[in-house]
Amino acid sequence: MKTSAASTRMGGYSLAIDTSAGTTVAVLSMGTVLAELNYLEPMTHSERIGSAIQKVLNDAGLKPNQIDTVVAGVGPGPFTGLRVGLAAARYFAIGSGADLVSVCSLDSIALDFYQANPTAKNLVVTTDARRKEVFWASYSGVVNGIPQRTHGPSVNKEQDIGSFIDLASHESTELGVRAGALGQIAFAQGLSAQGANKDITPIYLREPDAVPSKGKKVSG
Amino acid sequence: MSIVIKQATLLDLPEIMKLETASFANDAWPEETFRSELGANHTFYILALEGDELVGYAGLSKLPGSDQADIQTIAVREDKRGLGIGRLLMNSLTQQATDLDAKEIFLEVRADNSIAQKLYKLFGFKQIGTRKKYYQPDGVDAFIMKTDLKLKKNKEPIVLGIETSCDETGVGIVRGNTLLANIISSSMDKHAIFGGVVPEIAARAHLEALTPVLDEALEKANLTLDDIDAIAVTNGPGLAGALMVGVGAAKALSVATGKPIYAVNHLVGHVGADILDRGELQTPTIALLVSGGHTSLLLVRDLLNDVELLGETIDDAAGEAFDKVARVLGLSYPGGPEIDRVAKEGNPAAIRFPRGLTLPKDMEKHRYDFSFSGLKTAVARHVELAESKNEEISIADVAASFREAVVDVLIKKAVSACEDFGVPRLLLGGGVVANARLREVAKEHCEANGIELRIPPFSLCTDNGAMIAIVGSQLIMAGRAPSTLDFSAESTLPVTTVQS
Repeated sequence: MKTSAASTRMGGYSLAIDTSAGTTVAVLSMGTVLAELNYLEPMTHSERIGSAIQKVLNDAGLKPNQIDTVVAGVGPGPFTGLRVGLAAARYFAIGSGADLVSVCSLDSIALDFYQANPTAKNLVVTTDARRKEVFWASYSGVVNGIPQRTHGPSVNKEQDIGSFIDLASHESTELGVRAGALGQIAFAQGLSAQGANKDITPIYLREPDAVPSKGKKVSG
Repeated sequence: MSIVIKQATLLDLPEIMKLETASFANDAWPEETFRSELGANHTFYILALEGDELVGYAGLSKLPGSDQADIQTIAVREDKRGLGIGRLLMNSLTQQATDLDAKEIFLEVRADNSIAQKLYKLFGFKQIGTRKKYYQPDGVDAFIMKTDLKLKKNKEPIVLGIETSCDETGVGIVRGNTLLANIISSSMDKHAIFGGVVPEIAARAHLEALTPVLDEALEKANLTLDDIDAIAVTNGPGLAGALMVGVGAAKALSVATGKPIYAVNHLVGHVGADILDRGELQTPTIALLVSGGHTSLLLVRDLLNDVELLGETIDDAAGEAFDKVARVLGLSYPGGPEIDRVAKEGNPAAIRFPRGLTLPKDMEKHRYDFSFSGLKTAVARHVELAESKNEEISIADVAASFREAVVDVLIKKAVSACEDFGVPRLLLGGGVVANARLREVAKEHCEANGIELRIPPFSLCTDNGAMIAIVGSQLIMAGRAPSTLDFSAESTLPVTTVQS
């Protein structure tokens, strides 16, 4: 049986899905990870996503209709892969009758970083945006389980980030996106006054790569 | 090659024995065994005939009162293997088992016969045990394989189809051969200023449209997801990034609802659309699929088992050529309807534009292929030349002459395929079917040549989810096992792969 929308924010089971880099999925209970799966390769999202979700549910010993909330990592990340997880999150939520909430994918890296480095202050997270640019965001720490973003998410050339923040006072990290961390953040946000983020629009940060055609001559 | 499947009688025994001894070197059945098999009333033996010649046979045993059936044997003549005859035989046997209310089918197969095992796996058979040294005198193990017929009991499965291969997000629902809903959201307007489909824009639009299109389809069919028996999704061919949206969504929906999933070929879907229109697909048929992404000529002997690509465009798709020429003529996107509109006032014989791949030397190598790139360039040259001389051109004449060149090649090649293969039917599909002149010329040529012309309604000719759902329902009714969850989106999926 489903609990009401109001009480799902307080607990229950959630399924977190993110394909902004590799394919990462996790099942959580009250913000605690029960099962998690991380495929690091950046190209196999549409092949992996179905069996990955199936596997974490099996590992957690849950049936799909026991999931109360689907947490979608909304990027930023390379678009083609990113959309696979978001499409899956939308239809899993419909199919299981779960709520759908979102978390910025970069926030999960920040949460993991601060959990491993509790005394750290400022952090800048960067991920590959291709075309010699990076997606990035900066953070000042974690409050009540929620990473505090000070800048971003944005897309820039890596050498240009210094014009937005003082790089010398920011640590960096090699950690990657993890669905378990996304689920934890969503749970923490659900407990906050603001509530979890219901906006599931992908964070693209770039317009589609197309220019209106002017037409060109074919005869020389 | 045209294969007929028919029931075997005792009269066929001599021919069967010839093939039996040729096929099973050391473990052929003696004639007496085969005679009692053929004569028994709990067995079902079928033959595959090419003309009068026996090219394969197979047999099923199902005792009354038992809910288990056994595949007794299956053989295909050596020179006819790999052509899909085994699949036709298996299809017939599994259907018979279903009709006899069997719940499962068993078989034994030589451990060293991986080709046969592959065929059985296609029909959902899984290895459940091994019989050591079962085949004598070779001393080869037998694998015992089994398939469940649970889903196959469902005579009219309700299937939800998801299509995202180009710029249309489609969700359709069918029950058996009946259309229940067909909802399409097109991102065509968003591509207009670019003069063609921009893959990234199409993929973004798919993600946005997924939920509303699904909701609307369920509402239209007056069903909930609980009522759905299976999910079908296009996994190719098409734009990779666009396909992946539908594939990701469909897989998650399958896991969330526990419903089986079928990965379906987009082009086969276009052929299946005819079932939605008249409740069945008459075969064999030639199918001409013409859209902004495809220009393909198919010979369809059987929707699920025998679809052959005769030819396709070697450069631009026909719809793409319409878009590009429309741009040259200062007309808007999409070009097809615009050129159709303007051409009404024009003279189709005003300018003799080239007919691609119709010269004798091209016809040798590219009898059923198409090329529209040269035609597009010829139109552009014609217009630019006139401009450089400050001559007025009649856009209506150019549009009409261009359209005539495209239609001429498309229909002539399709009709000659009908004649070459002795197929009395032509099925049209794809968005370019909206073109009035194409339909007109197709009608003329088909009538003149005694060919039956099939054109489903336009809403079923453009990309849609219902045509994917209908292929899904045909697969289920034919006893096919669902796809496994790890299939991929394949932008160049060949038309011979009906289900991935």
